[in-house]
Order: sequence, then structure tokens, then C-alpha cells
Amino acid sequence: MLKDNLTTALAPLNLEKVAEGDYAKTGYHLEVAAQPAQMPDVAQTMLAAGCFLESFTAVDLRETFDLVYHFASFDELCRTAVHVPLGKKKGMPTISHIYPGADWYEREVFDLFGIHFFNHPDLKRLLLPEDADFHPLLKDFGASQGND
Amino acid sequence: MIELLGIEEKTYTLNLGPQHPSTHGVLRVILEMDGEFIIKAEPVIGYGHRGHEHMAENRNYMQFLPNLGRLDYLHALAYNQCYCMAVEKLLDITVPERAEFIRVMTSELNRITSHLLWFGAYLMDLGAFTPFLYCFDDREHVLDLLDRITGSRLTYCYYRFGGVPTDIDDDFLAGCRAFVSRLRSRWNDYHNLVTKNVIFIHRTRDVGIITRDQCVKYGITGPNLRGSGIPYDIRKSEPYSAYPWFDFEIPVGTKGDIYDRYVVRLAEMEQSLRIIEQACNKIPDGPIMAEKVPKRIKPPEGEVYQAVETARGSFGMYIVSQGDVKPYRIKLRTPSFANMSFFPEMAVDTLVADLVANLGSIDVVIPEIDR
Repeated sequence: MLKDNLTTALAPLNLEKVAEGDYAKTGYHLEVAAQPAQMPDVAQTMLAAGCFLESFTAVDLRETFDLVYHFASFDELCRTAVHVPLGKKKGMPTISHIYPGADWYEREVFDLFGIHFFNHPDLKRLLLPEDADFHPLLKDFGASQGND
Repeated sequence: MIELLGIEEKTYTLNLGPQHPSTHGVLRVILEMDGEFIIKAEPVIGYGHRGHEHMAENRNYMQFLPNLGRLDYLHALAYNQCYCMAVEKLLDITVPERAEFIRVMTSELNRITSHLLWFGAYLMDLGAFTPFLYCFDDREHVLDLLDRITGSRLTYCYYRFGGVPTDIDDDFLAGCRAFVSRLRSRWNDYHNLVTKNVIFIHRTRDVGIITRDQCVKYGITGPNLRGSGIPYDIRKSEPYSAYPWFDFEIPVGTKGDIYDRYVVRLAEMEQSLRIIEQACNKIPDGPIMAEKVPKRIKPPEGEVYQAVETARGSFGMYIVSQGDVKPYRIKLRTPSFANMSFFPEMAVDTLVADLVANLGSIDVVIPEIDR
């Protein structure tokens, strides 16, 4: 079982949380919480287990950011969600040298949230124009108050 | 070597797009060229960025539904389905069987239209005009069928939280059966015209190979992944909706080149026909809408990740709810985004003449990348 293998492989990293997820409710088999500095090691472990990076994004929780990595596997149904809390105005180590696919995801998060990724090979805006001076997915971005 | 002749080795920059007929939308690729060879390709995206994820945060759940048809406009129903399933999971609603059948049938019809369009447009990229006319002729029949049921021909917004709003009738079932036999009778033409065409084979065999390792590192999904021999299809790997009740196969390739991806897409259409055929015969009677769907959609606090298999690969929605009428955050994991991020690696050391063949073969839909 990939889930058990991952739990064993992640154990030496001393992560905050490695717990079984409620698949019927959230779609996760494994829920993990890690600190920013631990993320490259987590990614390395996931790659060694043959998982691919399904998605990566951030959530602006006003006081902090919650970075969410989703990993899945081509061979077995097992989705892992890794939550990483990140303080505002803090940077995050990149995992694009481990998963080259993370390159664009990190650029997107930089673009839309203004989160800086250390050692990213080419951190620049992805979706918005180069000269944009705002990060639209921040909760205090003006237009998000919008009329409904 | 060239320096020995006293010729200075020089590279130059070539700009492809954003307005170019073979980029299928507004995509720009900055190419660093050494003669005819590409040494670096950098896609520039975002020309069609409309901020769908931002829009999701300032409207309620129902109001965001039409946005889903405008991401991947070629397989809009799968996107509808993903969103509906994610919200149904948050609200803990069970969809009636008949509605699941209708969803699967319409979604598979939509998948066929998407693959048919790729078939025609891709061959046009390669310089063959006739197949485009063949497949648009067939595609038109599906669009008429879907038009009858959903009311639109392209940017569908048909599913609702808890089921579907309008029922299908006998004419629709008869139309589906007629279409299944029609498209089957056309396979011979398609294969004689293209699959066995020696120019096409030479153009695509051993070109644009994608390996398993690259698929893992970039998160490549869909026919691009299956062309490389990995049988990963969300419909089987993570069964949802009514798919477990049908008998169908996951076609895979062996080499992972363009030709394999082409064969996989054609074989997938046949599998979709099989699903539609079985659904026509097995569709149960009953309600098309779940009973206890609240008028005001206000899911409890929590988060959910839902994936579906679209024509281009795994589409995922990550929804964070904070118990409000508006979603707190919606992330759209679109398959073409991951597939396109692989393109720079794919294009390196290939001829510029193969660029269009490579780009078309990964079947990207730009509005889905830009969101």
C-alpha cells in the first residue's frame, strides 16, 4: 500500500502531522502538515515514492498563508495533501529542482499572491503582465470586496 | 566545428505568436534558434487570463457555475461535472442514478467532440485539410444532440448541484444510437485517410517522445500520459459518477511519440461510444434531481479536492469553504497547464518544423491554461 509506504518514508522527517485522511469527505488519503524548510525533503520523498505533483496553490488566511501541495500517483489511488503554514512577508524554498513541473505553479503563486520562492530559477510573473503592481488573490486586494 | 571555418557561431531569437494560426489561441513562444534547431523555447502565457479563481471568491456557488464552461471550452461538461461533484461532496448530497447516467452520456459525447476537433485541427497544423471537413461533419451531429438537451453548443452549463435540470427523451436516445453507428461506420475512412497515411506516419513516428519519468516530474496527464504506456485515467483509477457501472478500456501507447498519442485519442473515442451505447440500453427511470438540495448553497467549513478525467487529462478543483455563501478559495488544476509546462523541455533540440507538430500533439486549450 502506497499510503503505508509514504507514512513510513515521511516518519524520519519529524513532520507536524502525518495522518490518514477522510477520502469520502475531502478526497485525501493522507494529510500532512510541514514547516516551510521541510518542504524540499517532503517533495524528495514523494518523488522517490513515484508520486507526481498534482496541484500546488496558496490560500490567504489573512494573518498567514496556507500553502497546499497535492500529490497523487499513477499506479495507485492515493492522494496526499501537504499543508504548509507560511507567515506573511516570508519566503518559501522552491521545489522546482525536484519537480520541474512546480516551476510554473510557483511562478503562478508568486504572481497572484506575491509569495517569494528561494532559489527558483526564473521567478517572474506568469499570468499577469510583467508590469502589474498587484497580487489579485490576496484577500485585501481591492476588487475582491466586489459587488454581488 | 564551425569555428574552424572562421564562421562565427550565432544564435537568434524567433518569436512565435501570440497571433499564430497553429498556437490554437493566444500563446506566444520565444524561441532561441541555432539554425533550424531550437535550443531554448519559452512559452509566454496569460494573454487570456480572466481571473476565474478571483471571480470565484466574490460570487456565490451557483453564480460561479457558468464560469466552468469557459475554461476548457472544448470539454466544458467535464468541468461542470467536477464542480458539481465537489460541491455535492461538501454538502453531502447523493445524485440520483438517472442523473449520473445523463451526466456520463453527455460528458462522453462532449469528449468525442473535443477529440474530433483535435483530430481535425491537428492534421490541419500538419498541412492536411481534408480530415478537418470529415470530423467537423461528424462533430456537428453531436453538437445538435447536445444542443437539444443543454441549450448550448459550446460553453455548456448543464449540470446542477444535485443532478441535471432537464431530462432527456427518447429522441435523444435514438439520436445517440444513430450517432454511435454513424461514427463507427466512419472509422474506416479515418484510418485509411490518416492512420495509414505514410506522410503522416513519417511526420509523427519517433517525434516528440514523452517518457514516464517526465510524466511524473511534470504531472502530465490525459492522452499524453497514456500514449507513453501508463494506464492512468481518473475514470478508472479514481472512479466517479456512473463510470464504475460501464465496461470500457483504457487505450495506451507504447513509445510515447506523437503517433501513439494520436492512436490513443482515436481509440478513446471508440471507448466513449461504447459507454454511450451501454448507457442508452441501461439508463434507469427515476428522478433527475436530488431531493434535499438547499435553495441557498452554504457548505459547512472544510475543504475538498475533486478530480475528473477531461479530454486533456486530470482536471482538479480544490475548494476551501469557510461556511459562507461564497467559496473562500477555489483552485483550478487544469491539465493543459501542467502539460504545457513540459513543452520547453520537449522542444529543445528539435527542428523548428517539428515545433508545430509537437505543440499540437499535446492538445492544449489556451483559455484553460490562462484561466
